Amino acid sequence: MSWRVIARMDGALTAEPRSTRLLLGLPAVTVLAAAYLYPAFGTEPITTARFTGFVDGWLATVVPLAGILLGYDAVASERESGALLLSLSLPHGRDDLVLGKALGRVGLLSGVLLAAMVVGAGLVVYPFGRFVAAPFCGFVATTLAFGAIWTNLGIAASISTATKQRAFVIAFGLFVLFVLVWDGIASGLRLGLNRAGLVDGTLPGPVRFVFDLEPGAVFQRVTVGFLDPSAAVDGPWYLSEWAALVVFLLWLISPLALTYSRFAGSDLS
Amino acid sequence: MTAIAADGLSKRYATVTALDRISLSVEEGEIFGFLGPNGAGKSTFINVLLDFVRPTDGSVELFGHDCQTEGVAARDRIGVLPEGYSVFDRLTGRQHVEYARRSKDADDDPIEILDRVGVREAADRPASDYSKGMKQRLVLGMSLVGDPDLLILDEPTTGLDPNGAAEIRSILREERDRGAAIFFSSHILEQVEAICDRVAILQDGDLVAVDTIDGLRQSIGGGTKLLIDVDGLDEETVETVRAVDGVETATVRDGTTLEMTCTNDAKMNVVVELQRLGADVVNFRTEEASLEDMFVAYTGGGRE
Repeated sequence: MSWRVIARMDGALTAEPRSTRLLLGLPAVTVLAAAYLYPAFGTEPITTARFTGFVDGWLATVVPLAGILLGYDAVASERESGALLLSLSLPHGRDDLVLGKALGRVGLLSGVLLAAMVVGAGLVVYPFGRFVAAPFCGFVATTLAFGAIWTNLGIAASISTATKQRAFVIAFGLFVLFVLVWDGIASGLRLGLNRAGLVDGTLPGPVRFVFDLEPGAVFQRVTVGFLDPSAAVDGPWYLSEWAALVVFLLWLISPLALTYSRFAGSDLS
Repeated sequence: MTAIAADGLSKRYATVTALDRISLSVEEGEIFGFLGPNGAGKSTFINVLLDFVRPTDGSVELFGHDCQTEGVAARDRIGVLPEGYSVFDRLTGRQHVEYARRSKDADDDPIEILDRVGVREAADRPASDYSKGMKQRLVLGMSLVGDPDLLILDEPTTGLDPNGAAEIRSILREERDRGAAIFFSSHILEQVEAICDRVAILQDGDLVAVDTIDGLRQSIGGGTKLLIDVDGLDEETVETVRAVDGVETATVRDGTTLEMTCTNDAKMNVVVELQRLGADVVNFRTEEASLEDMFVAYTGGGRE
């Protein structure tokens, strides 16, 4: 169980600096602000189930930022400085190290999100809303998993290169690509194809599938399809919420698994 | 049980062979010095033991556990002071030892450990503020946690003054007396000579000698070196003497003394050769060869 020792130390070390606290405060404040505004701006009925559809778009931007910044430095700067060698001189495997780091940092983000969601639920319910347990709990779990996806992407960037700076460039590049410009590319393509008269209205299904592989899109499709009673997913089977769920789980595991296999076989000094 | 058993261990990079078929074994309870000039491959060897670096060929085991395939088990009974480490930025000295203690599932008292290596006063200061020598002591302290059966130390006295180095040596002797094997690399020969049971000399990735210090002494010139005071010693004379069969090293000390290690048979030939060159031999004596002389003999003067 040596990953526990790593997770415990790394969690404590990561939580300490003020920058981390600000970073973790961001998704928490977002959830609370959304929960505060939702009863005023949402449509009736006000329930925690329908709140999921209100807040998921915000979270699709803020959680990736927090996750990526939390993850990118997990291993790279220790590797660059040499502190990694102290850890790996002890009876820890590289698998223990990466697992411990991932669980420590995912644990931090999850703890903050969970606390914010609990308080947020209170804000939604009080005084006129209704607490609908099952979809809301599902949404909390999905959001935590979404946070884990981005933290893991950050850690994947961290173990795939030898310096903190390069890890940051890779991790932040993923954030910019998927969160900031991805939708723009899709819209641009749609506009262009429409202009050229090749498509009418929306993009063809297979192209939409490719664009919807982005983690935030998958997160929102899972939320809409399974949890938010006010909306539904339409389109062919490969655009269904079930297909999205599979992609979602793949995002959770594969980036870290793929980069780990290279990290495990590389020379560290 | 054998503490370290390397079998044909090689590490090749694109253009360099860092280790060339190294085979050696270190037994329990001995202090083994690993010598070589900078860049000879000492740290590469240690990094393979710790699985920081993967060998190209061959294998190495610690207490019967392969360092690559069973790395965690191999590192379970050892304490390490690696090369090129850095301490954790935001941890105090005490927390470092605490981390090692939890990682090894040991029950040492961190303060006792810090006291033993002489950084108790700084226990609650961030280790990143320590001087180089204090960091070295701290990491040595981490390596002592859990009474390991083998200590692997890469240049343990770097950054320490002579007193500090002597303290470290006495700690290493205590550990050996407790029954631990100690494997340490160094390019500071006096320290190795003062403490090692056996030494290995590595040069350009090749193991050129493995023996006790006395054994090494015997193998070059019966363990003595020749000091010949010559009037009007010039570089040409030195070159000629160097070319005499059986002469391992020949250097000039203080401008007038020719200092050399050679086989017993060669001693007379050297004197004859000096006579032939017309050099004026003023004095002739022998001295026990130091490890440094042997080292120079083995590595061709490549010490830095």
